[in-house]
Amino acid sequence: MLEIQNLHVSIEEDGTEILKGLNLKVGKGEVHAIMGPNGSGKSTLASVLAGKDGYEITAGSVIFDGADLLEMEADLRAREGLFLAFQYPIELPGVSMANFLKQAVTSVREHQGKETLSAGDLLKLMKEKAALVHLDPSLKSRSVNEGFSGGEKKRNEIFQLAMLDPKFAILDETDSGLDIDALRIVADGVNSLRSPSRSFLVITHYQRLLDYIVPDFVHVLMNGRIVMTGGKELALELEEKGYDWIKDETALLA
Amino acid sequence: MSIVATEQNQSAIDRLSKQFDDLVGSKSDGQESSWIQSRRQAMQAFIQAGFPKKRSESYKYTPVSKWIEKHSHFANEAPSSLFAQSGPLPPLSAPDSKGKSGDSQSAGNRATKAASTSWKSKSGVEIHTQDGHISGSVVGNVPTGLTVCSLKEASLKHPQLFSAYLSKAVVLDRDPFAALATAFAEDGLFIHASESVVTDEVISIHHDGLRSESFVQPRVLIVAEKGASIQVVEHFPHLNAGRTFENRVAEIFVAAEARIDHVLMVERAEEALFVNSLFVYQGEKSYFRTNTITLGGGLVRHNLNFLPNAEECETHLHGLYVAKGYAHVDNHTLVDHAKPNCFSNEMFKGIVTDQATGVFNGKVLVRQDAQKTNAYQSSKCIVLDRGARTYAKPELEIYADDVKCSHGATTGELDEDAIFYLRARGISKDAAKMLLLEAFARDVVDLIAAEGVRNYLYDRLHHLLSVTK
Ligand SMILES: Nc1ncnc2c1ncn2[C@@H]1O[C@H](COP(=O)(O)OP(=O)(O)O)[C@@H](O)[C@H]1O
Ligand SMILES: [Mg+2]
Repeated sequence: MLEIQNLHVSIEEDGTEILKGLNLKVGKGEVHAIMGPNGSGKSTLASVLAGKDGYEITAGSVIFDGADLLEMEADLRAREGLFLAFQYPIELPGVSMANFLKQAVTSVREHQGKETLSAGDLLKLMKEKAALVHLDPSLKSRSVNEGFSGGEKKRNEIFQLAMLDPKFAILDETDSGLDIDALRIVADGVNSLRSPSRSFLVITHYQRLLDYIVPDFVHVLMNGRIVMTGGKELALELEEKGYDWIKDETALLA
Repeated sequence: MSIVATEQNQSAIDRLSKQFDDLVGSKSDGQESSWIQSRRQAMQAFIQAGFPKKRSESYKYTPVSKWIEKHSHFANEAPSSLFAQSGPLPPLSAPDSKGKSGDSQSAGNRATKAASTSWKSKSGVEIHTQDGHISGSVVGNVPTGLTVCSLKEASLKHPQLFSAYLSKAVVLDRDPFAALATAFAEDGLFIHASESVVTDEVISIHHDGLRSESFVQPRVLIVAEKGASIQVVEHFPHLNAGRTFENRVAEIFVAAEARIDHVLMVERAEEALFVNSLFVYQGEKSYFRTNTITLGGGLVRHNLNFLPNAEECETHLHGLYVAKGYAHVDNHTLVDHAKPNCFSNEMFKGIVTDQATGVFNGKVLVRQDAQKTNAYQSSKCIVLDRGARTYAKPELEIYADDVKCSHGATTGELDEDAIFYLRARGISKDAAKMLLLEAFARDVVDLIAAEGVRNYLYDRLHHLLSVTK
């Protein structure tokens, strides 16, 4: 589904290299977790995959479902079925959820050759998907993320994921700032969206989320590189020993 | 170039001065009406001030002399045709209307209006104007106690009311254009709501008749007596009328406990010069709200002056402008708080693109007696093109010590993070920008009470912004 090879990424503005030869392969229907200390480049990876400006790709390639992802504009990636749940969702004052979702769903479905939804069907779909993450359907008349609580913003990201039905979803620290109840709601929502045809890349700083969204693989990102890969047990080990332990291990390797 | 402009401006002033004498006589015969007297005063004020010079502080960013030069034909028109009443008009002789003459002749010198550039209110009162004066009759059900007529008619039928209000709010040395319009306006529009007349019906004024290349100086007087409440919407639609020059002056009186909701929309053509001077005078516990929307015109200058001259007044002044091409839009506002316990809220938003310019100057003056004033002001401008320019100058001048005042002015591009968020949901770059611009502009339009007008503006904005990007 997604294959990243030797990806080198720098900040366009000052040339600082953040990702330094990252390799990652995610198969269809698989759930991969990426863990790593703050500042290790997790969000940078997510942003680059989603097509955000401001980064320079100095080497490497990303193949998404057989196509060169890095050649596509951000909106085309989304229409091709890539979804990013933002670590910090953006507030859009004056843009109603209803209008936003209508435009998003319409452009994605149109591109994928699916029939356009009638206003009634769209509303029905919104109701159904909002319920997945316990969001009040009255949110459709509110501005996107404006005045939403931290938890509502994160649930709103998963709600949008459900609406757009992507092949590949990246969740960037969707657990951060959530209390245990909200975490469970978000995780249940994500689990209900797991399917053999949808892959996930779950980025997290803590192991906690992975108790609920159980991954097939866990990778450790440090210093712009995947330094260790394992099964779900690796997350527990990290929780116990912290990231310093890996630092020492990889230092030995180097 | 600037010297040429100044000379041309001076000769224009001389010609205007002569025209004025031709109109009202060069000397007073001692028995003139107070109206004529006030016009003479205004002409004196104008001659003294002249057109704003290049160095003029209040026109620092607005090159009127260049535009006066460009529209120099205006002072050539014979006064008789300047103030022609409705009815068939003689063909224009003088100005070179550069290829536009064909159009204007076939239309009998009436400007042709682009289709669907107006809204239709289901009920309410509707007026159309030709060259600033009422044309045809007032349409709709005029509630008892509401008077809508020409100023001339008002001066004959309601002389007391007329002289009680006319020229009482305009400050002649505030702006030379206001003085000039006050001097020349032979007629105009009179709207008067008697005590306790409360109506939800919108009074719509469609300024949809304008001769090609014309220079018109109409005058408006709106009064809501104690406890009255009215809504007035004025629309200056896009007209194919070439280099028109409209210079209007409006006085609005909101008596104690009265309420006026006012909307003004300008969508004139790109060659049009449009100056609007508004003076609002408020009584105790009155409410006034205006939305000044500018979506078209070449050079548009709004001089908006508010004098809440009693306690517990509430004043809302909102504005929105979209400037494209070579348009230049200038909103120049003054809120003069003279009495205690008043509230004012000012919000202007602008979208400027291409080679256009947006200027905002907002002065809030809180005089010594005006304790417990709450005065807020914000100006936000989005610049879409490197060639576009904006200038914002908020001025707070506070002489009272127990007040709450704030102002903020921001200018910037569209938020890149917001655009990315939308694109990450599959929305194209253009559609994303469009969504954000519409959201930005809607903020102001949402504050308009009349639903038909709101919907009309949403449509117009959608159209304007979708061809902008
Ligand atoms: N746009 C940017 N400009 C400058 N530095 C950036 C930018 N984006 C990320 N960085 C830097 O890159 C590093 C990695 O950041 P990030 O990817 O957000 O890490 P993580 O998500 O793992 O906490 C940090 O040192 C951060 O300061
Ligand atoms: Mg991060």
